[in-house]
This record gives sequence, structure tokens and C-alpha cells, in this order.
Amino acid sequence: MKTRNLISGLMGATVLAAGMGWTPVSAADVTITMAAPDWPPTRFMKEHFDATYKSPAGHNTTLDMDFIPWPSFYERVAASLTSGEQKYQMIVTDSQWLGAFVEGGYYLNLTDKINSDPELQAIMQDLHPALVSAYSTYPHRTRAQLEEAGEVPAPGVNYYGFPQFPDTYVTFYRQDIFCDEGEMKAFMDKYGSNLPCSYEDWQDTDWTKWGQIGEFFQRKAGDMLAGETLDDDFYGIAYQAGKGYDFSTMAINAFVWQQGGDIWDESKAPSAQAEGVVNSDVAVAAFDEYLSYLQYMPPVAKTGQMDIFVIQDLYMQGKVGAIIDWVGLGEPVLDPSASKVHDKSAFGPAPGSRKDDGSIDRTGNIGGQPFVLTTWNSDEVVDEALNVVKWWLSPDTQLEAVANGGQSGLMSVMADPGYNDLRPWNRAHVEMIDWQKDVWHIPEFFEMLTQQQEEFDKAITGQISAKEALDAVAEFQQELLEDIDMIE
Amino acid sequence: MADAASTQGGFGAWLLDPKRRGALLVTPALTILFVMNIFPLMWSFGLSFFNYKATSTRVPKFKGLDNYADVLTDEKVWERFQTTAIIVGSSVLLQLIVGFLLALLFAKEFPMRRIVLMLVLTPMMLSFVSVGVFFKLFYEPTFGIVSYVMNFFTTDNFVMLATPAGAIAGIVIADAWMWSPFVMLLVLAGLVSVPKYLYEAAEIDRASKWRSFWTITFPYIKSLLLLAVLFRTIETFKLFDIVYIITEGGPGSSTETIAVYLYRTGFQFFKTSQSSALAYIVLFIVIVLTNLYLYAVNRREAEVS
Amino acid sequence: MARRHREIGKAGWGYTAMTTVVGFIYFFPVFWIILTAFKTRTDALAVPPKLFFTPTFDNFVSVFFRKSITTGTSQATDMALYFFNSIFIAGVSVTAALIVGTLAAYAFSRYPLRGNDTYLFIILTTRMLPPIVVIIPIFLMFRLSGLAGSYWGIILLYTAFNIPFSVWLVKSFFDELNPEIEDAARMDGATERRVFFRFCIPQILAGLSATFVFGLILTWNEFLFALLLTGVETRTVPVAMARTMGGEVGVDYGLLAAIVTLFLIPIFFVTFLLQNQLLRGVTFGTVKK
Repeated sequence: MKTRNLISGLMGATVLAAGMGWTPVSAADVTITMAAPDWPPTRFMKEHFDATYKSPAGHNTTLDMDFIPWPSFYERVAASLTSGEQKYQMIVTDSQWLGAFVEGGYYLNLTDKINSDPELQAIMQDLHPALVSAYSTYPHRTRAQLEEAGEVPAPGVNYYGFPQFPDTYVTFYRQDIFCDEGEMKAFMDKYGSNLPCSYEDWQDTDWTKWGQIGEFFQRKAGDMLAGETLDDDFYGIAYQAGKGYDFSTMAINAFVWQQGGDIWDESKAPSAQAEGVVNSDVAVAAFDEYLSYLQYMPPVAKTGQMDIFVIQDLYMQGKVGAIIDWVGLGEPVLDPSASKVHDKSAFGPAPGSRKDDGSIDRTGNIGGQPFVLTTWNSDEVVDEALNVVKWWLSPDTQLEAVANGGQSGLMSVMADPGYNDLRPWNRAHVEMIDWQKDVWHIPEFFEMLTQQQEEFDKAITGQISAKEALDAVAEFQQELLEDIDMIE
Repeated sequence: MADAASTQGGFGAWLLDPKRRGALLVTPALTILFVMNIFPLMWSFGLSFFNYKATSTRVPKFKGLDNYADVLTDEKVWERFQTTAIIVGSSVLLQLIVGFLLALLFAKEFPMRRIVLMLVLTPMMLSFVSVGVFFKLFYEPTFGIVSYVMNFFTTDNFVMLATPAGAIAGIVIADAWMWSPFVMLLVLAGLVSVPKYLYEAAEIDRASKWRSFWTITFPYIKSLLLLAVLFRTIETFKLFDIVYIITEGGPGSSTETIAVYLYRTGFQFFKTSQSSALAYIVLFIVIVLTNLYLYAVNRREAEVS
Repeated sequence: MARRHREIGKAGWGYTAMTTVVGFIYFFPVFWIILTAFKTRTDALAVPPKLFFTPTFDNFVSVFFRKSITTGTSQATDMALYFFNSIFIAGVSVTAALIVGTLAAYAFSRYPLRGNDTYLFIILTTRMLPPIVVIIPIFLMFRLSGLAGSYWGIILLYTAFNIPFSVWLVKSFFDELNPEIEDAARMDGATERRVFFRFCIPQILAGLSATFVFGLILTWNEFLFALLLTGVETRTVPVAMARTMGGEVGVDYGLLAAIVTLFLIPIFFVTFLLQNQLLRGVTFGTVKK
């Protein structure tokens, strides 16, 4: 099988070369096996690759995607890497896993390759700096640090990943009720401000108003909503507050950052502290505000199981007026077979904290996934894999990806006049991406995240206060990080 | 004669000597077990004495019993053990009660029994993942059918998983629902095997139903009940998927079982050695429990006879 | 013997009605899952929960076909292959464990070795650890031996998992047999092989069937090892089931329910066919004299 492919590949290449009057240095069969979660953005990559990819090196290249179910993706990748299976040439990865798998010697450092390849440099320059910071650098460098350096690649910085699907969270809302005249008037009468109906209204929506919306739209079965009688309880707002994975950290970090607090800042290690930072008064106040809006959310909020999928379902089934959720979960909302609100939905930027000058800080925690190369491949495979990277991050491919439900991290593509109209949430996404930061990337990421999620969950389910939770988190992180010399 | 055998059969004849027949018959089973089970177990046993981390390229150092000491002095571990004990205890108890009642119900011969029995046997043919997912949906306060039914009886919204006790109950119910049929099968087997003449004799003696149950029925099902407890305890100790799907260990850490914690230390924190040490402590506890249990059972039997 | 047992407490149709009600209450969650397989997502998540609705077969179609993202045409999923894999892998490994386990059980029962109980206990011990613990060494071993992703690897592993249970159950069946009959046969000049195949095995067939069903139930839904040790070609249904969870939506309830329903059918029928043996087998094997 393999030999036959090789022969036919060689013959194909030879015929091609003869026809075009040049001879490739060496044409061969290259198979790139890629670990990918099983969902549309990666399925698109595979289908589009098969349809359009032509190896510039003249290779007969196969992209062999190992589609792994999402809930087991991490286990499969972790087991494969740590056992030394060496099965994958490329891997889709959460940005937070970078530290663990770089330190383990599994993810390939691409700094030299980028340095010596103007095409890759151009791509890195065109990628949004927030994405380069979150998806590519390890040890982690913040966007500010990268921009200070001014050049790409920045000296002393190591680069690893490229965006496969850059994700941000935005507001999904019910245009039919937020733009209902009766409701708008009632809201104005009650709070003295307008109910956000248009995109511009959402640009001016802060958390205070978010809470008011929650209070305003909390209705019982039998009450009226936008002129119709409700046959079930209705809620105004919901955001993630789940114990699993990072399903509360992502939202809580946003509150903390927006109000001027911070998480332990790995880019300033080893001088950055956890104790006194993570549990600062500002952080506690921010977390308290996050908790205070839970009372307006559907009853599942009390269980600490209200994750990104639960709020999506509640929204799609018409139980809640507005949610803050990942752009990557937007597509099913528009699908009539899954969603009752497919024709009633609109999208806006996520709310933020209002600063003294009246502007709104929307700092958020980036989602989505980069993809990386692995360390055990021959030069030929690495070079061809980088050709695949260039193909994926070419404007044509990226625009096609966005049209099929993906997102692009390239600033030139996002600046394309047609971009915002490709999907209804694109305008919000482009606005939000500028605000993104990321949680930690060190190998101990999972230990810190799990402990933090557990303490957050206790606060969400009312077992402890915000202060107690953050004190416990700070104490744990301080001790752990001192142990591994990340804090002096 | 002996010479002839050895020249004719050589190694084959030596191997097939009746003296070695027992060992020969056991060999295939033990070989497979050794390669697939015991060897990996010993490997991780070895790892438990080092400071191996799967995400570090440093050469692991020998740490002696440090990992064991770390695990045993970790408050969290003890908390997880308590949680596990509560969940295993209540789930196995519930399985025994439900399984026993179901067995009583099906101990009679009646028309279409084969078909009706299948209704009860089906839950244990489902996967843990699907049971976890659908029970979580049943408990969901907005969409769930359990919440829907319960809301007729409560004034507030019924939110099963909001409290530690509720979350434990949610997990125990799902697990016990799935595995009570297993207990039922074993008990049923015992019930059916009670010779009828014993009941007839009891009837002549005008013994009460309760008394005839204890003196006639119970001895027949006792050994099977004990077997059921043993198997179910061992299996429930490993309970992972249902917990991970329904609560992820929440609220807080109130349903985090030792199996979930093992998964976290080994797979998320990559403390490979430490998780191996913890695993061997778990294994040790299970072995001690099993032996205590078998000892108690044997002593009882010795006393009875 | 068996006949007399059957006569215990014979009941009529009234009793059938009562047990059916109880049985159905117990079965209700499964019934709900099967019902969900015929629902659209909106129906599956309807409030109040819907008992009556317009059934759809879309979920069953999506088990085997999916729409291409770029062209919108229908592509086959590999689900048919995964169903074959599940049946093949579970069938072969449970049978293999039964054969190997029966041989060992016979030896433990008839040729007691020194330390017999210890061996038996060690065999049971291998089932006590959460499987997560041995994942990394097994994974490594599979890689070194080239077994990863092959049918042989996963079959051997499942065989190993079923051996403890098989040995313990089958041994108890052999223990119950009357050795005098075997001795009488030996006196008549029957070979050991003949004693084993003509006298012992036929008497414990019911027990063997029971062991087979138990093994099948425990293997059928195994997830973790299947996830990590099978490749794209040898993946089983429980792993593929996970693809219905957490992509663009949390859980695709209809699709998951459809896979669960289809996957229930084979094991349901095997259990149904062997039900009598299942009951007799368990009785026979474990009740003390």
C-alpha cells in the first residue's frame, strides 16, 4: 500500500515536473498525522486540505487527521505524548497545555524556522499580537512585552503555535425581546437607561446594566414577555459558572482584569506574587460582583454545573434572554433543527467594567486552539508541515474557513471589508479579540486550574465567600509556585 | 519404557506428564494476565518510588517512600477516601436493597416472565457514559424530567445537584439503578434454588413468614449476597465516569472520589509517581478490606456449621 | 431438580401485570433514552418533557452519515465499522477469556497446587485497581510491541480483563460437580481429555453461558482503554459515542440516544437468548451444598 502510494506519487510528481519543465529537488510521500478534536473547524481543515492543497515542494502530501471526540481529546493527546508514542506530526492544542508539553520535549520550538523564513515572519507579523502572545509564546510573553520588542520574532522569545480556531466570547441575545417596544419602555421607566437592542447599544453595556437586564427579565411561568404569555420560567442573563475544566475561570478572570486586579502573572516570574495579588481587595470585589449576578440566572447556576454548553442550550431553547459564550458555539444557534431562536438572535460584544472616564474595559480570557508541530520528525516532514501552516494561514484559506464557521487570526483577513458579514458574530469577535489575555501556560497549569475551579465552585454554590475562595487559591498557588521556583 | 517415552515425546511428553497437567492448564491464563496486567502493575509500582513526571525530560530520581509519605499526609487524600467510602457504602447498600426486592418480585414463575425480566436487566447493559449523560439531563433543573416531576411537590425549583448531599444522592441513584439488576440476578439464583419441600414443612409447622425467611430462604441466598457485596464493592470503588460526568466532583470537592482524584494527579497534574503511590495505597486498602470480609464470611460459616 | 424449582410459586396474569408495571418503572430511564433517539433537539429539551411528539429518524441517519462542511454532500461516518469492531473485539475476547479461564479453573478445581488460594486471590486483585493507574505502562508496552491500534492488542487486553471473573465463576461450577462420576469414567478407561470434554463441560454449559453473558456485559461498554489503545481502524462504539458530546453543542442527545439504542440491540438479544442459562448458571455455580 505504502509502496504503491510512493510509486504513484513519484510518477505523478514526475509527470507534473516534466510538463512544467522543472524538476523538484526531491518529491516524496509525506504523511502528516494530526491530532484534532472532532468538530467542524477541524473537519473543514481536512476537507479543504484535500480539495485545495498543493505541496510547493512537489511532495505527495497526505493530511491524516485523527479526529478524537472533544471530551476525550486531552486524555488521548496526553497519553500519546507522555508514553512516547510519537504518532502525531501536528497537534491541535489548548494554549494552556503549551508549558507541560514543551517542557516534556514534545512540542517543536519554531523560533529558528520563523527567523529563517520570511514567509513565516510575514504571517507572524500579520497575526493579531494577542493571539501570538497566547497561542505561540512559551515561556509566556504578554502582548505588551511582544509589542515593546517591536520585531517578529522578538529576541529571546520562543514560538510554538499557530491559530487553528481563535475564539472569544461575545454576547448572544434575543433581538425579539430586547427590541420589543413595550419591554424597552418598561426598562427605561425602571432603570432610566435603554435596553440594549442594537450592536451599538451593546458596545455601551457594562456589568451593572447586565445585572439590571437579569433582574428585569426574570419572569415566572404565566407572566408576560414581549407581549406573549410564558409557559415556563424565563431568565434574563447567563454566563459560564461550571466546575468542569475552565468553565468559571474564563469568566472570573475577565471580571478581575477589568477591575484592575490580576492573576498570578507568569510573564513576570519569578518576581510576581500570588499571595496578595490573587486575593487582593480588588480581585475579591470583582469576584463578588461576578457572583452577585448568578441570582438572576437559571436554577442550574446553583449546582455549579452551568458550563458553556448548558447556557448555550438554555439560550437555544428560549429559556434565557442573553448569554455570554464562545463564538465557536454560535453556529448551532442559527440551526433551525437545534434552536428555537435561530431567527431571533443577534450578537454583540461582551459587557465589561466601566472605567472612571466612562469607557468600558472588556478584557477577557482568550479561548480557541492553536496547533503545533512535534519534535520527532525529519526535516522533510517539518518543512512540509510548515508548508501546510502557510497554506492554512493564507488569506484565501482563512476567508474560506470563516465562511464555513471558522475564525481567522490574521489582521489582514479581519480587515477585509466582507469579513464582518461572513458570520453574524464576526463584528463582535473582531472587537473582542483586541481585549484578550490568557491564563497561565506553565506545566503546573492544570494543578492550579483544578484547585481554583474547586474553590470557585464552592463560592458559586454558596459554601464559602469570595474572599475565602480567593484566599485559598492564593495560598495554594503561592506554595506551589515557590516549590517549583516560579516565585522567589 | 521410560526411555521410549522420552525418545518418542521428548519435551512434549515431559510437558504433558500428568504431574504437570495442573500447571499446564493454568499457564495460558497466567501468561496473559502477567503480560497485560501484572507487568504494567509492577512497572507503576516501580515508578512509585521515583519522582517521575511525564512532562519533564529530567532523569527521574529515586525517592524511596517519599511519595507514600506525601500521599498519606495529604489532607485532601483523606477527604477523598471519606467521600469514596460514603458513595461506595450507600450505593452498594441501595443496590442490595433494590436488587433484593426485585429478586423477590421475580422469584415466582409467571407468564411472560422472560420478557418482563429483560426490562429490569437492561440498565446494566448501558455504558457508564450514557448513564451519566442522561441522568445529568434528568436532574437538570430546567429541562430534566426528575426536576419536572419534583416541582409538583416543592414550592421552589427542585435543584438536585445544588448541595453536597444532593449531589451524592444523584450519583448513588444513577449507579445503583445501573447495577441493582446484577445483585438481583445473584439473589434470584439463590431464591430459585430453595427446595420447595422446606417451605411446605414450614407451613405445616405454622412458622411465620418472617421466620421461614430467616431459617429457610436466607441461608440459601447468603453466600450469593456476600458474593454480590464483594464484587459490587470492588467495582464501585473504581467509579469514575458517572461521577466525572454528573458532577465533576462538585459542588466544591464534595463528590470527588479517589478514582477521580487518581485521574487528576496522574493525567492532569502528571505526578505519575505520586499517583502510582496513591494507587498502591488504594489497592492495599481494597485487599485488606476484601480479606477482612472473606475472613468474616468464613468464620461465620465455621460457626454455623 | 430444575423442574421442581420451576413449580415454586407459580403465579398468573395478574402477577404479570403487576411485575410489568414495576419492571417498566425500572426500565423508564432506558425507555426515555430510546424515545430521545426519535426526537429533534428541541423536542429532547422541551419543557415540560415530551412523551408524545412527531418522531424523526434523522438521528439514526446521522449515526451513519454526516454532511460535509464544505460541499454539504452526505458522507459516510465510520460507525458501521465501529459496530463491527465492537462485536468482533468483545466476542473474541470474551470467548478467549472463557476458554483460557475454563482451563485454569479446571486446574484450580482438580489439581490443587500449593498456594492455590494465593493465585486465585492475585488473579482477583488485578481487577481491583482503577484502570487509570496502569494506562501509561500499558500504553508504553503497546507501543514497544507494536500492538497499539491493532485488533490483537485490544483483544488481548480485554481477554486479560475477563480472565479473573471467568476463572472465579467457572471454578465454582467445577467445584459443584460430583467427582465420583469422573472417577468412574476414568476407571472405565476414559482419557483425561474425554473426561473433561464428555463429562465435565456438558454439565456446566449453563454456567459457561452465564459467564459469557457477564463477561460480555462488562466488556461491551469499556471506554478508557478503547479510547487510548485503538486506532482509527479499530475504534469501538463507546469511543465513537463520545463524539456526540462537547463539540459545537454540549451533548447531541438525539444522536447519542440513537447510538445507545442501536448498540443496546445486540447485547440485549444475547442476554435474552441466554437468559435461562444465566439464571441456572449462577445458581448452579455458587450455591453451597
